[in-house]
Amino acid sequence: MAAVVVTPEAFTLVQFDAGRIAELVAEVAGRVGLPADVEVRVEIDERVPLGRSRLTSLDPITIAVQGGAFENAKVPRTLSDRSVVDVVGRLLFRAVDRLDPAFADAPADEALTLPQHTAWDAYAVGRCERVGYAPSKPRRLYHFRNRHGFTDTADRVFERLWSADGLTWADLDAACAETAATRP
Amino acid sequence: MKRHMQATELARDERFVRISTEERFNDPRQVPREPGSKRRPGPQLRPERHEAPDAARAMMHAIFTGEIQALEGAGRTCWDFEVGADSPFELKLDMARQCWDEARHCEISVKLGDHMGTEVGEYAENVVLFEAACNPDPVLRLTGVNRALEGLAIDVFNTMREYGQATADPVLEFCEDWMLADEVTHVKMGSDWLRRLTENDPERRARALEFQRVVDKLFSAGGFRGDEDDSPVKLARRFRELAGFTPAEVEEISQLSRQARAEADAAVR
Amino acid sequence: MADPKKPRPAFAPWDRRELPGAFTVEESARRVGHYKWVEMRLFEALGGWVATVPELDVKMRLGTHTYKHAWHAELWHKRLPELREMNPERLTQPANDDVVAFFDAMTEPEAPGETIEKLVGVYRVLIPHKIAAYTYHLNNTSQITDAPTIRSLRHALDDEFEDWRDGEMLIQSLIDTEEEVERAAAHQAQLEAILVRGGGIAGKGSIG
Repeated sequence: MAAVVVTPEAFTLVQFDAGRIAELVAEVAGRVGLPADVEVRVEIDERVPLGRSRLTSLDPITIAVQGGAFENAKVPRTLSDRSVVDVVGRLLFRAVDRLDPAFADAPADEALTLPQHTAWDAYAVGRCERVGYAPSKPRRLYHFRNRHGFTDTADRVFERLWSADGLTWADLDAACAETAATRP
Repeated sequence: MKRHMQATELARDERFVRISTEERFNDPRQVPREPGSKRRPGPQLRPERHEAPDAARAMMHAIFTGEIQALEGAGRTCWDFEVGADSPFELKLDMARQCWDEARHCEISVKLGDHMGTEVGEYAENVVLFEAACNPDPVLRLTGVNRALEGLAIDVFNTMREYGQATADPVLEFCEDWMLADEVTHVKMGSDWLRRLTENDPERRARALEFQRVVDKLFSAGGFRGDEDDSPVKLARRFRELAGFTPAEVEEISQLSRQARAEADAAVR
Repeated sequence: MADPKKPRPAFAPWDRRELPGAFTVEESARRVGHYKWVEMRLFEALGGWVATVPELDVKMRLGTHTYKHAWHAELWHKRLPELREMNPERLTQPANDDVVAFFDAMTEPEAPGETIEKLVGVYRVLIPHKIAAYTYHLNNTSQITDAPTIRSLRHALDDEFEDWRDGEMLIQSLIDTEEEVERAAAHQAQLEAILVRGGGIAGKGSIG
C-alpha cells in the first residue's frame, strides 16, 4: 500500500481528519495501479474554501488542494469521502499517465489548455468509474462541454474518452483538435 | 394551518441540508486575495478560471434553493394576510402569479441542474431569503423580497446568462434569459405595491426602504454582489432600471455593496 | 360568391343555443360570488401549504395551481359588476357556515407528514365539487344572456380538470400502504360530510 503523507496533520479551520484522508488516498493509489512502495503527498490549504486541485510533482507524487476540494458541500467545513476520492482518483490517474512514456510529450500542467485539462480529466475520471468508484459523469460532461463546446461532436468525443483505456498524449491532443474543429 | 411560520419550519426532503446565516458568515476561511487587495469577495464566474464550471453549478444550485424559498414566500403572502387595506385583493393575485413564476423557476432550475450535472440538494441550503419573507408587515415583506432579493436575482441571472453566452451554452443562456424576464416583473410588482400602499404613509415607506437597505446590504455579502471589477455578481443596471429602479436607487445599492465590502475587509485585518 | 344583400337568418342552422336559463341575474351573481369566495380560500390555502410540504414535485404543483385559482377568483371578481353587483365584496361570501367549516377543516393539516390529507381535501373533495358546481351552472344558465359567465366557467373547468388529474396522480403516487389508503379515505369522508351538509360550494339546491 502506498505511503501517504497528509499536511497539515491537524486542521483548525475545517473538520478534516488527516488519518481518514491518508486511508482514502492509499486505497485510491492502489486502485489506479500505482506501485505499492510509492509515496503520495497531499498538501491541503484549509484556509481556502475553493476547490482548486493540482498535481504538483511526480517525485514524490504530490497533490495540492484547496480545502473546498475535499469538503462536503452539504455540510461545509466537513470532510467528504466522495470528494476526496473524486479529486485524488482523477489526479493519481494523471500521475500514472505522466509516468507512462506514452505521455512523454504532454506539456507540463501549467502549460495545458483548459480543453486539454478537461479531456485528460474525462479520460481519468472514466477510469475511476471502472475501478469501482462512483464519480458523477454528468458533472464531468458539463465540464467537458464548457471547454469543448455544447455540440454533438463534443459529446461523442467525451464518451470515447470516458470509456477509453491505454490512450496516449497524442490521442488526447487529437481529441481536442477534433472538438475544436466543430466549436462554433 | 397557522399564519406566519418561521424559516426553521420550512419543509424539505432528506436531500436538503440547511446552513444557517451565522454559520455561513462565520466561516473563517477566505477566498485568496489578489495582489493589492485585502481580500476577494468571492470567486468570479469567468470561463477562463479552472473551477468555473463547478462555480456555475454551485451558483445554479443556490439559485434553485432561492427559487424554492421565493415560491414559498409568495405562497405564504397569499395565506398570511387577509384581504384588506394592507393587502388588497390585487396584491394577493400578484403573489399568486409569482407563485406560478417561481414554481416554473424551480422546474427550470431542476432541469438546468440535470444539464449541469448537479444533484438536488448537492449543496447546503441557506434560508435567508425566506427569513425576509417572514416579515409581519406585507409592505416590508414585499419590499425586502421583491425589491431587494428579486433585485439580487436580476443581478445573479444576468451574471449566469453572461456565463452561458461566454461558454456558448445555449441551454443556460436560454433559461437564464427567461427567468431574468420574470424577475424584472417581480421587482416591478414590489416597486408598484410599495408606492401604492405607502402613498399616504411616508413613515411606513421609510421603514420599508430601510428594511430593503438592510436586506440589500446583507445580500451584497461583503461585496460578493457589487459594481467593482472583481465582484463575482455584478449589478445589472440596465435590467434594474427596466424593473423600475431609478438610477439613484441603483447607485445606492452600489454604495451599500461598497460599504458591505469595506466592513468585511475591516473584519479580516 | 354569395350576394351580400341577401338576408340570412340571425342564427345559423347549426347554432342551437337556447335563450331560456335556470338562473336570474341575481342568482347567477350570487353563485359567482360564492365561486370567488371559494377560489380565494383555495388559492390562499395552496399558497400557504407550499412551504409545508417536503415533496418537491408537490411543492411545485401547488405553486402552479395557486395561480390558476387566483386567476379564477379574478375572473369572478370581474364578472360580478357585470351582473349588477357594483360592490363585489358584498357577494364575495361563502354559501353558508358549513362551507366555512369545510374550509376550516380542509386547511387544518399543516405538518410535513400530512401531504396526503392536504391533497385529498383539495383534489378528492373540493375540486370534484367545483367541477360539479361549475358544470351545473354551465348546463343550466342561459346560453345567450349569461354567455360571459359560460366563457369563464369553461376556462375554469379546463383548469379544474387538469388540476384534478395532477392532484389525483400525486395522491396515488404518495399512497403506498393500506394504512395510507385508510387515512386518505377517512379524511375524504370527514370533509365530504361537511360539504354535503352545506349543499356544496354554491349552497343547497344544486349539485356541487
